[in-house]
Amino acid sequence: MENDMGLIVKTMARATIPLIGIFGAYVVSHGHLTPGGGFQGGATIAGAGILFLVAFGLNEAKKRYDKNLYSALEGLGGLAFLGAAMLGLSVAFFYNILWRDKIAFAGQPGTLLSAGFLPIMNLAVGLKVFTGLVSAMMAIALFRRWKK
Amino acid sequence: MIAPEFFYSALIIMIGAFFSVLRILLGPTVPDRVVGVDTLNTLIVAGMVLLGAAYDRVIYIDIAIVYALLSYIGTLVIAKYLQGGLK
Repeated sequence: MENDMGLIVKTMARATIPLIGIFGAYVVSHGHLTPGGGFQGGATIAGAGILFLVAFGLNEAKKRYDKNLYSALEGLGGLAFLGAAMLGLSVAFFYNILWRDKIAFAGQPGTLLSAGFLPIMNLAVGLKVFTGLVSAMMAIALFRRWKK
Repeated sequence: MIAPEFFYSALIIMIGAFFSVLRILLGPTVPDRVVGVDTLNTLIVAGMVLLGAAYDRVIYIDIAIVYALLSYIGTLVIAKYLQGGLK
């Protein structure tokens, strides 16, 4: 526990990490209404991961981080994006059949449940970016420190 | 409706940001530059809020919130590096 930061930083990180996570989830889920979207929200949530690593140190982050889970979630995000893109394959690739045929997510434009497959794609990209960035950050932080 | 007084206040913020950039360029030691960057982050957040009010767009405030949250992490990472890094 010698590589964590002081008490003030840790207490503030306890308060700030949920705030950043919730705000990142807001940016991801409102990607079709407000500025931002999958990548920006995912990078914001990954900022919470960076804050966790910096504030609580490498040992604590290594206990919380599961390589296989994050790798699987990153693949799942990519597959969900591709699956949403192939929903309307009977007409064309990336054909927004959820919106055109009023199946789901087909509310009034401007509301949260509108825009067809775009919220699904934003969630998929957000998941992929968050897990990918956290995995890359942990790989860099653990570089040549595996034995300890 | 574009309100001009918010542009004037953003201009004042910009003058303050210019002095902080001057400190980043001239700062003799590294902590001087870090404090300069931290000041510049806060001034940029204030400028973003003022410009969001000037252009009368509520959604611009979201970007200021994200910037305020993430600039804090950037300063924290530099501070951690200066005090010895992830040993």
